Amino acid sequence: MTCEETKRLLPLLLYGELSFDEEEQVESHLEGCGTCRLALESERAIHEQLNAMQMEPHLTMLARSREQLRRSLLSSPPARESWWQRLRQGFTIHVHPIPAGLQPVGAVALIAMGFFGARMIPSSTTRQNNLADLGPMTSRVRYVEPADKSGRVQVVVEDTRERVLSGAVDDQNIQNLLLAAARDPQDAGLRVESVDLLKSSRECPQVRDALLNALQHDSNPGVRLKALEGLKNLSADAQVRQVLTKVLLSDDNPGVRTQAIDLLIQHKEDTMVGVLQELMRKEDNGYVRMRCQKALHDMNASVETY
Amino acid sequence: MEAVEAGVAAAAIRMDESALIRAAQHGDAGAFEDLVRLYDQSVLRLALNLLRSPEDANDIYQEAFLRVYKNLHTFRFDCSFHTWLYRIVTNLCLDALRKRKVRKEEGTMVETREGLLDRMDTVEEDRADGNPQRRLLSRELHSRIHHVLTDLTPRERMVFEMRHYQGMRLRAIGEALGTSEEAAKNCLFRATQKMRAALGDFV
Repeated sequence: MTCEETKRLLPLLLYGELSFDEEEQVESHLEGCGTCRLALESERAIHEQLNAMQMEPHLTMLARSREQLRRSLLSSPPARESWWQRLRQGFTIHVHPIPAGLQPVGAVALIAMGFFGARMIPSSTTRQNNLADLGPMTSRVRYVEPADKSGRVQVVVEDTRERVLSGAVDDQNIQNLLLAAARDPQDAGLRVESVDLLKSSRECPQVRDALLNALQHDSNPGVRLKALEGLKNLSADAQVRQVLTKVLLSDDNPGVRTQAIDLLIQHKEDTMVGVLQELMRKEDNGYVRMRCQKALHDMNASVETY
Repeated sequence: MEAVEAGVAAAAIRMDESALIRAAQHGDAGAFEDLVRLYDQSVLRLALNLLRSPEDANDIYQEAFLRVYKNLHTFRFDCSFHTWLYRIVTNLCLDALRKRKVRKEEGTMVETREGLLDRMDTVEEDRADGNPQRRLLSRELHSRIHHVLTDLTPRERMVFEMRHYQGMRLRAIGEALGTSEEAAKNCLFRATQKMRAALGDFV
């Protein structure tokens, strides 16, 4: 094989697209030819430079595209009428009576159901029953939407098909869905929004536990920051302070640590001095150190223990 | 042993996929959504890298999956779903690239309230380091690569993108583009030659 032929095949060699025989011939030529080995190195360098040009779609971009598609599919007719007819035949809706205590004060309407669902809702049923009809939380929450003017939030769940449910944020069923969404293992964006919505019910013990849990265990710093926001007015609570202290000393995100300091120093306690001094010993982020120093200074404490 | 396990896993995914397709063909909206989620990130990545514009990439994404939705009942399992989907996506991308050639390439600079902004800065990518000389060099190289990419013919650009950035085999690329492996290989050849001519003295 000549040098010219070899050089011609170098890109394909790097892409692993040569036949077995071609690769053998190129390899054996390279063994004895320094010029072609240099050419291969330069080809590799070009590859590396090209790799640096690769763009990765941002996750919010992907989420937006998915949401836009979902909306267009909702308004798009099913591809074949027969699907719809088949579906309709095999589908019935069961409506159970709703316990009076569970009935939300505001009127709660089932707005739409999945891609075809809107047309399946029997017009004669009492629609406000459907929210209480959810049963045990077996479905996955797809996404949540903030409250509209009337103060109601929307939760989209996925069971056999998607449904849109709306109700007050402190409605028990809505809250259960939001609590489940706040633990969704796949969608960090969903967790952020759910924790954000739950914030307003922070006095409720279940919600408080969910916020504490998210703060300690969520892998996404955005969710942890939202949880911290939700705990703002609870920083006097002993259990909350305990978790905040733990997070301050162990969270790997400087933003979370900074917020934790801010919350903790809302109530100046003597035990805080020790915690902040311990943080000063190990903290390597300049900004967090500065905040910590300032807090210690405000408490008239020394920055280090001697 | 590992190869066997990998084979079994791949077969399980394929089985899952065809079950999803059948369910979606029978109107199961959740199955359709799951099917979309299997592939949509790589579709978006392909369109974004080809068109270098988030808005255009999103347009391709929407149009491609709407077409899949409307035509899924015609899918007969005589090729892989991946191939079928990529035929739709690559056709849309090729059209967009051809239209751009006609418009003589609008460039990546867009005007915003904050002044001129490089479109490419609005998407995640490896940024140059703090060293000013390296940054200058990287900028020059960046712009050269950008120019040579836009100078490729739409088909060369497509094959290059699918092979270099998406890691697809030439045979799969040929199938998606409705051509032979050999023709795809020739496109890749021409693209890499143009790359070398433009960047060879730079590395």
